[in-house]
Formats: sequence, structure tokens, C-alpha cells
Amino acid sequence: MASTRTKNRRAAMALSVVVAAMVGLAFASVPLYKLFCQVTGYGGTPKIKVAAGDSVSTRQIEVRFDANVNRDMPWRFKPAQVHMTVKLGEPKLAFYRARNDSDETVTGTAVFNVTPYKVGPYFSKIDCFCFTEQTLKPGQEVDMPVEFFVDPEIFTDPNTKDVHAITLSYTFYRSEPEDSDKKAETAARPADGDSKIKG
Amino acid sequence: MAHAEAHHDDHHHPGFFTRWFCSTNHKDIGTLYLWVSMFAAIVGGLMSWYIRAELAEPGLQFISNDAEGKQFYNVLVTGHGFIMVFFVVMPAMIGGFGNWFVPLMIGAPDMAFPRMNNISFWLLVAGFLLLLTAAFIDGGPGTGWTVYPPLSSIDFHPGRAVDFGILSLHVAGASSILGAINFIVTIFNMRAPGMTIHRMPLFVWAILVTAFLLLLALPVLAGGLTMLLTDRNFGTAFFNPAEGGDPVLWQHLFWFFGHPEVYIIIIPAFGIISQIVSTFSKKPVFGYLGMAYAMAAIGVVGFVVWAHHMYTIGFNVDTRAYFTAATMVIAVPTGVKIFSWLATMWGGSIKFEVPMMYALAFIFLFVVGGVTGVTLANASADLVFHDTYYVVAHFHYVMGLAAILAMFAGWYYWIGKMSGRRYPEGLARIQFWFFVIGVNVLFFPQHFSGLAGMPRRIPDYPDAYAPYNYISSVGALITAIGTLLFFVVIWRTYASKETVEANQWGEGATTLEWHVASPAPWHTHEELPDMTGKAPAE
Repeated sequence: MASTRTKNRRAAMALSVVVAAMVGLAFASVPLYKLFCQVTGYGGTPKIKVAAGDSVSTRQIEVRFDANVNRDMPWRFKPAQVHMTVKLGEPKLAFYRARNDSDETVTGTAVFNVTPYKVGPYFSKIDCFCFTEQTLKPGQEVDMPVEFFVDPEIFTDPNTKDVHAITLSYTFYRSEPEDSDKKAETAARPADGDSKIKG
Repeated sequence: MAHAEAHHDDHHHPGFFTRWFCSTNHKDIGTLYLWVSMFAAIVGGLMSWYIRAELAEPGLQFISNDAEGKQFYNVLVTGHGFIMVFFVVMPAMIGGFGNWFVPLMIGAPDMAFPRMNNISFWLLVAGFLLLLTAAFIDGGPGTGWTVYPPLSSIDFHPGRAVDFGILSLHVAGASSILGAINFIVTIFNMRAPGMTIHRMPLFVWAILVTAFLLLLALPVLAGGLTMLLTDRNFGTAFFNPAEGGDPVLWQHLFWFFGHPEVYIIIIPAFGIISQIVSTFSKKPVFGYLGMAYAMAAIGVVGFVVWAHHMYTIGFNVDTRAYFTAATMVIAVPTGVKIFSWLATMWGGSIKFEVPMMYALAFIFLFVVGGVTGVTLANASADLVFHDTYYVVAHFHYVMGLAAILAMFAGWYYWIGKMSGRRYPEGLARIQFWFFVIGVNVLFFPQHFSGLAGMPRRIPDYPDAYAPYNYISSVGALITAIGTLLFFVVIWRTYASKETVEANQWGEGATTLEWHVASPAPWHTHEELPDMTGKAPAE
């Protein structure tokens, strides 16, 4: 019987390793999921690039701008332009206007995505106010820039060539929530899916 | 096995406390699991009858028309789901019948780790108590069994109720993982000589596949729940978009566990039904290997279809196409099982004993639920059906009722072996008809109210849905009578003087549990049976 006992213990050990590995996988899924969204543009996650490519197409696409604030965020936040028409491949600068309506200094970060979700891989940001935290003094109003371009490939992909308008959406969240034990995140990250519904 | 019987009266007269609280005997632990399951079924059942009473007519009759009343309704829905999944079906199928009959069927004297078996059981009890505690503090958890953030976040459930619910699932999950390890080791290492993997009865195959699903799925739930717990209490932001998290990640983690979970519930039922159909057709199961590997295939494919629960979050067309197709693939191995059961019966000498009647009712209900499942697998259709009563009807048929009917089937099939008594035949048949008619009257109309757009988890509805809901509630009443009758059957069985012989069902019952006395003695298979060269036990 002793050999059965040893065999049983060994098998139980091996199975415990499987359990531990699956718990590890669950936690590993958090960074992997973010990475997956950023690499594939999944769920309308725009790409982040250093510069636009060389090819500029003569074709044009409409980009619409949308702005939301979380209910805990005492800012007024609006796009400076409702929409613009851009040439594919050409870097463009757009502005969002934010104003702190409260009587205290407030820091916030914006999460963002584009709709329809499927255009995520073709919408690239070169620079954006959403890459860092923004701080506004009471009553301060600023124009915040975002530099982006739309990849000309969008019209060759059969999945996306029916798209004629892209909506770029931001939701501003307050960085330090009232309860001070919550740690503020320093870098804004792309949000997926329903996040902007909360705004 | 006269000598085995002589044995059990020789030694072993543990006192009540030692026998039931410190038990390491697979049969006693199995019995404990079955009783806990029955008790939890009363609690979960009362919740569902309260829901049906509220939904019998439009307007609010039983809950108060304020935030507390509606939260109470949400807590009922949540509690019903949790209890039925984690504390009724899983304990009865895996802990109860699994513990009782896996060692008996493979010719092992007990489980591989008898003391771990005891820990599994008591962790389950602790989990159940934590869940009941959750229901009574801070308004209770009103999150639904899916516990989606942001509803389950600290902003919308500020009390301790959701934390208790999370801990309950952690503890119940640990119980199931330990149980799963125990079953896998037992089945791999403790089989009698000659009982090869391909000679194991299909119920043992079912428990083996289920144990692997538990082993792979539950740790993912545990991981997700831990993230939710730290999000709620320790300032992390896994699911909070304000700080860079994403609530959709929870849905992925939950359903990566949740979809295999529905197979964890139904695969043991497949095993029970295979034993019963074979026994009462007096034929070996048609396509034994196909049946075994169909269960394995369902288990494997079950891990790659989870996103069909979340079509509405905005997947792109390709993703929807994949999950639709992958989901429909599951209809192939399940079809293999259905047709093999039919082929087993074909040309068989069928006896309509109560377990067989329940097995046939199981097949009928499972097919109805399977058909609506194929409908719901279509992403484009599901966008419309999502969160309607059509979905409620689907999953109650395919996993709720099918599992409960298989549990009844197993109870009637094995109670002679477990208690040594015969169940009251006439009363059992009446109980069968009340229950089976009741659940169909209850859930069939919900297909129609669902197609008409009635949303789930809402305590009130427009008058247009009133007739369907009234019929549903009448069905719930009939089901309640059937449930009550079952407890009368239990009482009459244990009070009965009529004993049963070792092989109650005659020549159709070929598996090893029918070779030991009834009731099964304290110790069985102390001398390992030699199965060398024998036909597959099914």
C-alpha cells in the first residue's frame, strides 16, 4: 500500500500545481488583456505611435469628438470642434476644452476609445493629453491637444471599409478619490467597452 | 459478499459525533453531502417560490415598493442562483453520488485522501453559512450570481454583504478543488486490477471529466473574486475604469469559469443517466467509448466558448462568428450522447421503474433546453434575447431542471444501495408526475414571455406578460407539491421495513456497486475485485 500512498501524494502534488498555475493565469490575464487590446486595437483601443507613416491618401474620413466626465469630476469638458474631416495618413491636431468649476485644485485622467470598435487598429495617437494626468486650479480653463492620424489601410480592410465616420471619445475621471487610501494611477490607460457609459 | 457484511458488524461502532463530524468514510461523507444538498434545496427553493409568488401578477404584492424591497428581490434572485449551483447540484452530484459510488464502481476501498474528503465537506458547510450570513447583513448581495462590477463594486454595494458572498464562494471553491483532486487521484490510482480506464462505468468517466473542469475553472473564479475583493477593500482598480481598470475583464474571467461550471453541473447528470438507461434497457450503453469521449470533448470545447455569455459588450463580427460557431460545435458531442441513449433503449427490454422515468424526463428536458441553446448561440439572435426570460427558460431547462431530474433519478436508482430500503413505489410515481409536469408548466411559458421581451431579474412587468407569468406561478405550485412529496418519499423510505437485495434491479445492473450488499457495508472492496478481461463495466 505504501507505493499507492506515494503515487497518490505525487498525483495530488501535480494537480495542486495545476490549480496554482490556473490562479496565476487568472492574474496574468490582467496585463495580458491590456496588452492584447493595445496590440490588436480590440474594443476600440486606439494605437499609440511616435509618428505618422509616409503614405498620405487623398481619401478622407470624418472624425467626431465626444467628451464625458465622471459624476465625481467637477469639470466642464467639451471638444473644441464637434467634428473634422481628415485625409487618411495625415497627422491632425484637435483640441478639447476643460474648465475646473470647483473651488479646489483637481487632478484628473481621461480614458478613451474609438467607435465603431473595429476601427481601433487604424486609429493612431501620436500625442494626447490623456497620456498623462491633468491638473486644473479652481476656475482654470485650458485647451488640451490630441494629435492623431487614421491609417489609410482602413479602406483596404474589408471589415472596416464601410466606415465613413469615427467617434473619438474621452471620459475624465478624478485621480484622487475622496477616500485617501485609494492610490491614484499616474498613467492613463485605454479603456475598453462600457467605461464611457458611466460618464 | 457475505464476508463483507460480517465485517461491518465486527468492529466500528463510532459514536454519533465521531461518525458524522469526523467522518473519513466515503459513504458517510456522501450521505452528508446529500443531506446538505437537500437542506440547501429547501432554502434555494423557498427563494424561487417567493420570486414566483411575486411574479404571479403584475405589480408588487410581496416585496415593498421601495429601494429596500427591490434590493430584497435582487438578493432572492442572487441567493437562488448561488445556492442551487454551488450548494444543491454540485454537492449532490459530485460530493454525494460521486463519493458514494466512484469508489464502489472502480473497486476501491475508499477515496484516495479520506481526511481531505472530510475537509472538503466541512468547507462546503462553512461556505453555505457564509452565504446565508451575507444575505442577512447590509441588505444582502443583490448582484446576481454573475457579480458583475460596477454593481458589485464598493460604490453600489457599500456594505459587507458582497464581501461575505465572495468569501463564501472562495471557501466553497476550495472545497470543490480539494474534492476534484481527490476524485482524480482516486480514479487514476485506486482502480481495481483489470479496471482499465476504458472499462470504467460512464458515471466514473463523468466524475473524472467534471473533476478536471473544476480543477481548471475554479481557480480562475478564485483569482477574479480576489481581484474583486481587493478592488472593494484595498484600493486596487482591476475593474474600475476611473483608475485604468476594465469591468469587461471581470466578465471574461467570470465566464471563463462560468461556462465550464454549467458543464460541471450537467456532466455528472450524463453519467447517472447513462447508468440508468443501460440498467433499465438491460443492454450495455450504445457506443461506450463515444459516450466517454463525448463528455471529454464537451469539457474541452466548454473552455473556448465563454464569450457567448457576453455578446452584448460589443465584439467585432469575427469574434462573434467564432464564438457562435464554437458554441454550436458543442451540439455535436451532446447529440452523440442523446442518440446513444436512444440507441441504448432501441431494442432493449425496457422497464419503466421510477429512475428510468426520471431518466427519460431528463432526456426530454435536456433536448428542449439544448434546442433553445443552439438558438441562443447565434450572436445576432442573442443580442435580442439577452437578459430576457427566454434565457431564463433555456438554462433552467438545460442545466437546472435536467440536473435536478438526474439527481432524482440517481436518488431513486441508488437509495436501495445507500439505505437498504425500498422506496414507496406508488408515492414515487405520483411524486414523479407532479414534479415533471410542474417544472414544464413553470418554465415552458417563459420561452414565450421571453420572446415577447420580458426582462429577467425585475420584480414587476407590464400587464401584457400577465398570462404567461400566471401559468408559470401555477407550475411553481405544482412543483412545490412534487418537492414536498419527495420529502414524504424520503421519510417513507427510511421508515420502511421492506429491504432490498444486493442487486435490486436484476441483470441490467452490471456495475460493481450491485455486487456488494444493500445497504452497502461500512467497508467494501477490502479485497480488490479482479476485473481482468471483463467487458466494460457499462
